[in-house]
Amino acid sequence: MNSSLPRTILSTISPYSLAFKRQKLPISTRVSGPVSFPSISSIPSSQKPRIPLFLRPPIFTTSLSDLQKWQQWANNLALSVGSKFVDSDNGPDTNILCREVKWLLEDAVEDKSILCQLVSPENGKLVKLRADLDELYCLWKQRIEERRPFQYIVGCEHWRDLVLSVQEGVLIPRPETELIVDLVSGLVLEEEGLREGIWADLGTGSGAIAIGLARILGDGGRVIATDLSPIAVSIAAFNVKRYDLQDKVEIRQGSWFEPLEDVKGELAGVVSNPPYIPSSQIVGLQAEVGRYEPRLALDGGENGMDDLLHLCEAAALMLKPGGFFAFETNGEKQSKFLLDFMTQKLATNVHNLEAISDFCGIKRFVTGFRR
Amino acid sequence: MGFFPNLMKTLYSRSLSLPQNSRRRNQKLSLLISSFTESNKTLIVQTTNSQSTIRSGFRVLKHTLAFSSSEIQTMKVPASFHGLLVPSTGVRCGFCSLAATEPRTSDGLTVNGIVAGRWPILDENEGDWKSHAAAIAQSIQLIKKRLQWKKMIVRLEMLSAELNKADLWDDPVHAGKISREHGSLMGKMKEVNRYERELLEHIDMLKLAREENDGELESESLRALLMMRSSVKEKELEALLAGEQDSCSCFIEVQAGAGGTESMDWAAMVMSMYKSWAECHRYGVTVVDEMPGEIAGIKRATIKVDGEYAFGYAKAEVGVHRLVRISPFDSANRRHTSFAAVAVTPILGDTSSHFQINESDLRIERFRAGGPGGQHANTTESAVRIVHIPTGVTATCQNERSQHQNKAMAMAVLQSRLDQLEMTRQAQLNAQHTQSLTEISWGNQIRTYVLHPYRMVKDLRTNYEVSDPDSVLEGDLDGFILSFLSASLDKDKDN
Repeated sequence: MNSSLPRTILSTISPYSLAFKRQKLPISTRVSGPVSFPSISSIPSSQKPRIPLFLRPPIFTTSLSDLQKWQQWANNLALSVGSKFVDSDNGPDTNILCREVKWLLEDAVEDKSILCQLVSPENGKLVKLRADLDELYCLWKQRIEERRPFQYIVGCEHWRDLVLSVQEGVLIPRPETELIVDLVSGLVLEEEGLREGIWADLGTGSGAIAIGLARILGDGGRVIATDLSPIAVSIAAFNVKRYDLQDKVEIRQGSWFEPLEDVKGELAGVVSNPPYIPSSQIVGLQAEVGRYEPRLALDGGENGMDDLLHLCEAAALMLKPGGFFAFETNGEKQSKFLLDFMTQKLATNVHNLEAISDFCGIKRFVTGFRR
Repeated sequence: MGFFPNLMKTLYSRSLSLPQNSRRRNQKLSLLISSFTESNKTLIVQTTNSQSTIRSGFRVLKHTLAFSSSEIQTMKVPASFHGLLVPSTGVRCGFCSLAATEPRTSDGLTVNGIVAGRWPILDENEGDWKSHAAAIAQSIQLIKKRLQWKKMIVRLEMLSAELNKADLWDDPVHAGKISREHGSLMGKMKEVNRYERELLEHIDMLKLAREENDGELESESLRALLMMRSSVKEKELEALLAGEQDSCSCFIEVQAGAGGTESMDWAAMVMSMYKSWAECHRYGVTVVDEMPGEIAGIKRATIKVDGEYAFGYAKAEVGVHRLVRISPFDSANRRHTSFAAVAVTPILGDTSSHFQINESDLRIERFRAGGPGGQHANTTESAVRIVHIPTGVTATCQNERSQHQNKAMAMAVLQSRLDQLEMTRQAQLNAQHTQSLTEISWGNQIRTYVLHPYRMVKDLRTNYEVSDPDSVLEGDLDGFILSFLSASLDKDKDN
């Protein structure tokens, strides 16, 4: 693999140490070994959000031909993966990885239109970058050799029509979760009480759902987003500010409903994507997830439903009459269990219970209304 | 025309130095007046009030009147302007000026007359005015032909009649469409009329300068003719792209023919040819959908080409492209023939003419790797495929970074395909087009690229050919595109 590195990099061999001094990442020898779970403490716990690549100032310069060399090197590295990741843990294939090379370039250059000139770069033509070329080498090595998630590499995830800042310590929002916003958007169109009410997004992480909701609620509607993790709180705040929603989204640090005592019984809606993976499955997770994403956001206890059960019970008390809730689950089994649980134990408080499928046809969400 | 103010000044100062009531003075003043209406600028004529100026000024006015009466209506007459009377009866309504009398020079020369005169056309640098004039006249004729002049006049009359209907605005969408089309055709017609007028005025001016042995004026007029010659030449090209959708952005789709890896590789070569072509023309290029082949190349791919006239040019590429070469994928080094089909669909800017899509007619599919999904999976793959159930038309996008965005892009592709399907259907209904559906959507074989045993690219429609396939495959397609566009419009004998 190293033979495909351009000579300039071989000579300065460790660009790695340049860019990520403050971060101790798992060593690459783990690639094919059993996926172990690195302690979260090895991840930077700086609470100051890192600026996503695409928002950094373009203060670096390189020649177009050096950037082309990087691109070839990165593509070759991606191609060398073959179906290795797919076979080992349903990870990314080379198509996806090559597309990521393109996106990494798009985020890294000041002027995207220059990228089409990479096919036959003009001699001596310079290009402005938002990261040092050495850092780009380092980042892509991390992606391939250590399976660091692409979203953490570039520091952002495109989710719905949003571009959200993410970094280690915050769950990368999933495409399935986009549906929660769609579900709510259908409801608020019809019901003014929901459109103009207070919504809660519990365990907001990057703030994805909260921001998605804030953009579909009416002028009077607002969202309170909570998270236990201080780093999630600071990233969510960063994202809320970027979409200029400070007046609409309030972020509070704390566990689930704890910071919401003041609005008990007044909430128009409660939504959440809580951790729901059974503890025993954490070890076998796809490398990008298991090694890098916060366990706090994934591990739902022995059967994965510790937090979901708490949310269902509490939502029945926190919502105002007619209020709506939607929670993401691990799939069919959990959804069915939760519906049965609520039908038996909470029927006096909630009704119109439903399990809703995601785009793959997996019963992903449980929803219902407070009586 | 930027040259007018200068020339006007020269003319004006010269005419003032001539004796009052002399023929030449009046002639110059009358030219001045025609320039005046042309440039819509106010000019103070303080000199003679002689009958002959008024008469000849009158003539010039009338002569321009037929073409741009609206310009005259908007002309400002300053208080100190007392040399000329504009007869109010001469101002006619805008829509009825279509069948105007042909403009002439003072000695009766017309644009058609110049072309019929078959004056030799020499190189631009060999500066005989007759050569310039003949070149300009020829260009004007070609532009008219490309605009399908006679059809355009009929269409304009139809639209004018429609616009004059009292109940027009009962259907505002229709009315908007009609008046937009009328405005655009009217603009084209006025432009051509202006060229005709300008050419004749330049000739008048030039003859006048010669009569007077006014060398400076003569060379200035000659320069103006030369400038006009090159600007009209450019317009010839623009007139090739006068179709309703020509100015739109478009999608270009390439699909590999049968024949496995070799033809998938060919499809990839064709696609990269269009990418380079588009990039050379400073169009924005976005890959919307790409289905790679197992070993090399692509099964199909779609790109979005953003920019003015992208569709107008790219539509010339619709059809099947054939490659003959020694296949690098054949270990026995045999010669192979492979095919790739190219489809081009416009992205209509005018949303009112969009095909109406019912949400309930759509099936939206997302590609996801199997497995439990949700928090278990990290992926940047968020492809979306949309099927329009009633027509079976599909669109796929996987190159955007969120599912939401992929869906939006796939919808745009679907919209464009359905729009084209609808346009084709209507065209067939109207029986205005003789092309069949297959010809429009995928087309027949249009071009052959031979890399072995000899090297050549030849267009089967125009017989245009080049002997350097590499440059073509690197995106140098303009020769093919322009020769096809001009051949398809210029062969039309009706105009």
